[in-house]
Amino acid sequence: MIPEFGHLILIVHLVLSLLGGTLPLLVVYANYRSLEISIKKLSVTLFILITISFLSLIYSFLVDDFSVAYVAQNSNINLPVYYKFAATWGAHEGSLVLWILAMNAWLIGFIFFTHSKDKDFLATVFSISCQVIFAFSLFTLFTSNPFERILPIPPLNGADLNPSLQDFAFTVHPPLLYFGYSGLLIPFAIAVSAMLFKKDTREWASYSRPWTLLSCSFLTLGIALGSWWAYYELGWGGWWFWDPVENAAFVPWLLSVALFHSLITSQNRGVFGKWSILLSIFAFATSLLGTFLVRSGILTSVHAFALDPERGLFILAILAFFVIGSLLIYSITDFGHVEENKYELTSKEFGFLLNNLLLVVLAISILFGTIFPLIYEAFTGGKQISVGAPYFEIILFPFALALGLLQGVALYLSWGKSSSFSFLPRLFIESLSIFSLIILILFVLFDNLYLSSFATIFLASWILVGTLQITKKRNLSYWNFLRKRLAVTFAHAGMAILTIGVGVVSSYSLEKEIILSPGDSTEFSDQTINFQSIDDLLGPNYTSKSAVVSFEDGSELSNIVTEKRTYLPSGQITTEAGIQADLFKDLYVSIGDNLQSNIWSFKIQIKPFIRWIWLGALLIAIGSFLAGVKQFKRR
Amino acid sequence: MKKIIDALPLVVFASLIIVLFSFLSDKDDQLETALIDSSFPDFNLGSLSDESRLLTKQDIIKLPALINVWATWCIACRVEHPFLMKLKEESILTIYGLNYKDNKLKALDLLERDGNPFEFSIYDFEGRLAIDLGVYGAPETFFIDKNGLIRERHVGVIDERVWEEKFSKYLNE
Repeated sequence: MIPEFGHLILIVHLVLSLLGGTLPLLVVYANYRSLEISIKKLSVTLFILITISFLSLIYSFLVDDFSVAYVAQNSNINLPVYYKFAATWGAHEGSLVLWILAMNAWLIGFIFFTHSKDKDFLATVFSISCQVIFAFSLFTLFTSNPFERILPIPPLNGADLNPSLQDFAFTVHPPLLYFGYSGLLIPFAIAVSAMLFKKDTREWASYSRPWTLLSCSFLTLGIALGSWWAYYELGWGGWWFWDPVENAAFVPWLLSVALFHSLITSQNRGVFGKWSILLSIFAFATSLLGTFLVRSGILTSVHAFALDPERGLFILAILAFFVIGSLLIYSITDFGHVEENKYELTSKEFGFLLNNLLLVVLAISILFGTIFPLIYEAFTGGKQISVGAPYFEIILFPFALALGLLQGVALYLSWGKSSSFSFLPRLFIESLSIFSLIILILFVLFDNLYLSSFATIFLASWILVGTLQITKKRNLSYWNFLRKRLAVTFAHAGMAILTIGVGVVSSYSLEKEIILSPGDSTEFSDQTINFQSIDDLLGPNYTSKSAVVSFEDGSELSNIVTEKRTYLPSGQITTEAGIQADLFKDLYVSIGDNLQSNIWSFKIQIKPFIRWIWLGALLIAIGSFLAGVKQFKRR
Repeated sequence: MKKIIDALPLVVFASLIIVLFSFLSDKDDQLETALIDSSFPDFNLGSLSDESRLLTKQDIIKLPALINVWATWCIACRVEHPFLMKLKEESILTIYGLNYKDNKLKALDLLERDGNPFEFSIYDFEGRLAIDLGVYGAPETFFIDKNGLIRERHVGVIDERVWEEKFSKYLNE
C-alpha cells in the first residue's frame, strides 16, 4: 500500500511541477493575472510531496518489501538496517528521486532567500526550474519508476545492495554529489530569466552567486568523498582514476568554479555578463551530460548503473530541450548596451578572465578526452580505443601550473588596474622559504628527495603564501578577518594543501607485491612486515578471510587488518584494504590471492601525505560554503 | 558578425547532441548484429550441478536450442522461470542455462525448488563466456539453430509474447 501511495504522490508532484512550469509564464507573458499563484506556497508543496514520496521508498526498504522491484534488486533481509536506509539511493531509480528532492530543496532556498522586488523575474526563474523538475519527474515515472511491483509472486529475498557500496563514505557521497549537480539548476534558471528580462548584469549576478558557491561546495565534498572511497574500497590505493564518471563530476566542478569567479567580476564591475550566462548554461549542461554518459550505458566505468538505452535517449532529450532552448535564447537576445567598465591587463578583471579561460579550456579538454572514444568509435565503425590517465595528466599539468601561478598573485590585484607589483619579490622569496621548509621536512621524514615533486611543491607554497600574506598585509582586525577574508583564505589555502598532497603522493609513494605465509616476515622501505595470522570471520551478510599484518619501523608497531569478503546473497567478493592513516603517511595493505593452502599475496603501499588531498578538498568545500552563506548576510 | 558569434555555442552544442544521439541509436544495432549468424563462441567451463564435469561447445548437441543467461540474484529471471519450464514440459526445444556470476549452492537450491528447465547449466562465475557473448546482464536468451548458429538474441524477460514475436519463427525453418 505504501509504495502505491508514494507512486501516487510522485504523480501529483509531476502534475504540480507542470503547473509550476507553465502558469507563472502565462501570468508574466500573456498577462493572465487571474491565474497568478503563490510561488512560495507551490514550492513548499512540491518539496513536501517529493519528500513524502522519497520517505515511502525508504519505508519500503526498511520493511523489506521485496514486491517492490527496486527494493528486491538492491536490498536483502540480512542487510544491516543502516544500509537498507542508504540503499534507497544506491541505484538509478532511487537516486533520481533524491535528485528531484534536491532540486526542490534548492528551489525553496532560492524563493525564500532571494529578495527582489521584481516578482515577475522571480516567477520566471521558478517556472524554468519547475520545467526541469517536471522533466526529471517524467523521466523517473516513465523509464525508472522506483515503485514498480513484482507481482503476483514477489521474491522471498532481495538480491542485495552492491557490496562495494556497503560502506559509510559511499552512503554519503551520492547525496552530496546530487545536491551539487542539482544546485546548478538555480544559476541556469537565473541566467535564462536574466536574458528574457534583459536584467542588469550586476543584479542577476548577485542572485546567482550564493547558489553557485553552495553547489560548488557540495560538488567538492561529493567528489572528495568519492575519491576517498575509491582509495580504500577498490583496493588499488589510487585516489583518482580519470574514470568517465569521475570526469563527469569534475567537469561541472571546474565550470562552477569558473562561474562563481566570473560572477564576482560581474557583480562588482558589471562586466563578463554574457560570459557568465554561457557558463551558467554549460555548468548545468555538463551536469546533465555526465548523468547521460553514466546512465545510458554508452560509456563503461566502475560505476555501473542499470543500463538502458531508452533512458539515455530520454536524458539526451531533456538535455537537448533545455540547453538548446537556452542557447537559442542566447543567440537571439540583443544584449545591446556595451559594457562600460574598462580594465587593463594588470587588473583583477583580467586575472579573473585568465582564470576563467584556463578553467574552461581545461574542462573542455577533459570532456573531450572522456567522450572522444565514443566519437572515434562512431567514425571508425566500431573500432574501440580508450583514453586513459596519461592523456589527462599531460593535459592537467600545464593548466594546473598556470592556474596555481595566477592564484598566488590573484588576491593582490585591484579592480580596473593594479598600481604596483612590488609584492612580487617578497612573494617569491617567502614562497621559496616555505618550499625549502617543506622539502626539508620531506627529507627528514622519508630520507629521499624527488625532483619530480619540486614543481608541485613550489606551486603549493606560492599559492599558500599568496593567500596568507595578503590577509596579513590588509592588516585586518581579527573580527574583520573572520568576516571578510575567512572564506577565500580557507578555499585558496585548501587548494595549496591539496596541491602539496598531490605533489608528494605522486612522487613519494611506494608499493610492492609480497607473498607470505603466516609467521613470515619481509622488509620493505624501512618497515619490517610480518604476516601474523589469517582467520575466518562471519559478518552480518558476508563471510571473510581476515588477515593481520604488522608493520614495524623500529620505534612503532602497528597491526593492520585486511579482509577478503564474500557477500552471501550475491557471491560477490570484495577486498577491504587495511589502512593505518596518519597526517604524514598511510600504510596500506590489501590482501590478494590465496596462492597455495596457506600462502597469500599482499599488496603493500606507503602513501605519504595522501590525507592532505582530502583535507585540502574539505577546506575548499568549507571555504566556498562560507562564501555562499556570506552572500545572504550581505543583503 | 556579432550574431554569428552569439549563435556559435548553439551550433557547437547542437552538433554534440547529434553525435551522441546517432551513437545511441546505432549502439543497439551493433550489439544486436555482432553475434547474429555467427557460431556459438568456444568455452571451457564447469557444470553447475557437477563441478568435475567440464563443458565445452561440443556438449551443446541437441539443436535447435535456447541459451538462457540466468542467476539467483536476478529477479527478472524468476519471472521468466515458469515460461522456461513450460517450454521444457511441452518439449518445444532444448534449453541450456548459463548460470552467470552466481552462488552455486543457491543456484542449485533454486532449481531444486522451482524446477530445472535446463538440459544442463554452464557455471560461469567470472562471466568469461558471458563476455564473449556480449551479455548485458541477466536475463538474456539466445536462439541457436540446428546448424549451431546464433540467430536471435533477447535482452530481458522472455515470455509468450517475446517467444511468438522473436523466436518461434526460427523453430519452423
